[in-house]
Amino acid sequence: MDAQTLMNITQQLAVGLLDSCKIFFLTLLFSMPLGLLVTFGRMSKWAPLKFLAPQTLVEKLKLAQSAEGKAENLPMGTRFAGGLFFFKPIQWIIKVFIAILRGTPLMLQLFAVYYGPYYLFGIPITNEYRFTAVIIAFSINYAAYFAEIYRAGIESIPVGQYEAATVLGYNKVQTFLRIVFPQMCKRIMPPVTNETITLVKDTSFAFVISYPEMFTIAKQISAAQTTIMPLIIAGVFYFIFNGIVAFVMDKIEKKMNYYH
Amino acid sequence: MKKYLALFLTMAMSVGVLAGCGGGNEEPAATDGADTAERTTFTVGFDAEYPPYGFKNDAGEYVGFDLDLAQEVCDRNGWELIKQPIDWSSKDMELNSGTVDCLWNGFTMTGRESEYTFSEPYVDNSIVFVVRQDSDIQTKEDLAGKIVITQAGSSALTALTNTEDNDENLALAATFASLEQTPDYNSAFMSLETGAVDAIAVDIGVAQYQLTNHSDKFRQLEEPLSTEQYAIAFKLGNEELRDQVQATLDEMVADGTFDAIAANYADYNLDQMVCLGKE
Repeated sequence: MDAQTLMNITQQLAVGLLDSCKIFFLTLLFSMPLGLLVTFGRMSKWAPLKFLAPQTLVEKLKLAQSAEGKAENLPMGTRFAGGLFFFKPIQWIIKVFIAILRGTPLMLQLFAVYYGPYYLFGIPITNEYRFTAVIIAFSINYAAYFAEIYRAGIESIPVGQYEAATVLGYNKVQTFLRIVFPQMCKRIMPPVTNETITLVKDTSFAFVISYPEMFTIAKQISAAQTTIMPLIIAGVFYFIFNGIVAFVMDKIEKKMNYYH
Repeated sequence: MKKYLALFLTMAMSVGVLAGCGGGNEEPAATDGADTAERTTFTVGFDAEYPPYGFKNDAGEYVGFDLDLAQEVCDRNGWELIKQPIDWSSKDMELNSGTVDCLWNGFTMTGRESEYTFSEPYVDNSIVFVVRQDSDIQTKEDLAGKIVITQAGSSALTALTNTEDNDENLALAATFASLEQTPDYNSAFMSLETGAVDAIAVDIGVAQYQLTNHSDKFRQLEEPLSTEQYAIAFKLGNEELRDQVQATLDEMVADGTFDAIAANYADYNLDQMVCLGKE
């Protein structure tokens, strides 16, 4: 294989890399804030039926949650009543949302977002919708994973800090934005880097709804020139791309490490 | 309780999605029955890993015999050709949902007549077996106990697994050690080269393309598995668009353009395989 052919393959793959980058950056842009929203929903304690609960039940449950015993040891009836009066609809919906997005393959979700409008509702879909569908499917899928990472970060902040904030006169929003959120950002960097790197490699799924990105193009060149060289070059491209991602994330992590 | 409900909803959604996909074939053509008058674009769905019918050239453009024909048809009708590479195993979903106007990519009509609205056949194809150059397989009978691979959703797979009027090929397939499937033929040829499989069942055009490039590695068995014809597939019931494309193709045969395009692919014997207007 001469240098000319290699250059040519590399150039064609570079074009495909642009498409992969588009998926990557747009997905990050949408899924990271969306993930935060999902976290809020997941941690929502809103229970609209709570005020209906009889006082005795509230006390019984409180007692059960304290060191005296576990909620599991309560009689069936009390547990059922607790579940009914303290039902948290937003939290429940978000739990289902996360369960579906984490529990089904990304490939199936791409199919559902792209073909769903036509097969479920008869809405004709256009060629332009292909890319939109890729971004929607990737964004909601990654939002579900990011949400759980954010939750881990938020829940890692000790209760003492909330108590201190209350004493100092911070309201809930101030406590979150000025105390909890900055610490959360620091703590979640390693798992966020993990997800981000996985995203770079997952972009190749986009071809299941016929959006050709770098890996697809590598396979196409490989078929046309009957050589595996394009696949090797694509591997090198992914590796470099992820090297840059890891480097940037590491820089951010170091920059946020201001207490050490 | 909540856990079970969540599980149930998840399953319900998955089943709903799957059922939605499966049931699509019976739906009538909703919009694309009478749209040729105001048509400005013509989207061809093709497998870009299927040389010489559709592939990527050195300049990074999608080319191939079928795409050249489609380009000519579009030029004559004033349409803009959109070349949409698709995942071949999703071809029915792409066609039925209207994201592509036709499947034009060495698509076999034999045995699929009732599933699509087809143009007239334009290429006589045969499915052949390709083996390694140094292999001891000489005839179809030698394939007994060997591993054979083919593309998922391909006509070669249909020829080996179809249970209607196909006793001879089924008996042949029964002698294989196994019949494997792969998403694209290029990986099939890689598997063959590395020794993971012993033979590939593949359309002759694709086989010729590989043999032209790698005559030292591969060899084609003389006796074909089956013979069949290629045609352009439109969504079932979309006869208006089919008729317009067919009329343009007939025009191209009459003025010699069709044969001129085929002659560009003489390296892969395509000029001898075309059959439109030859009877």
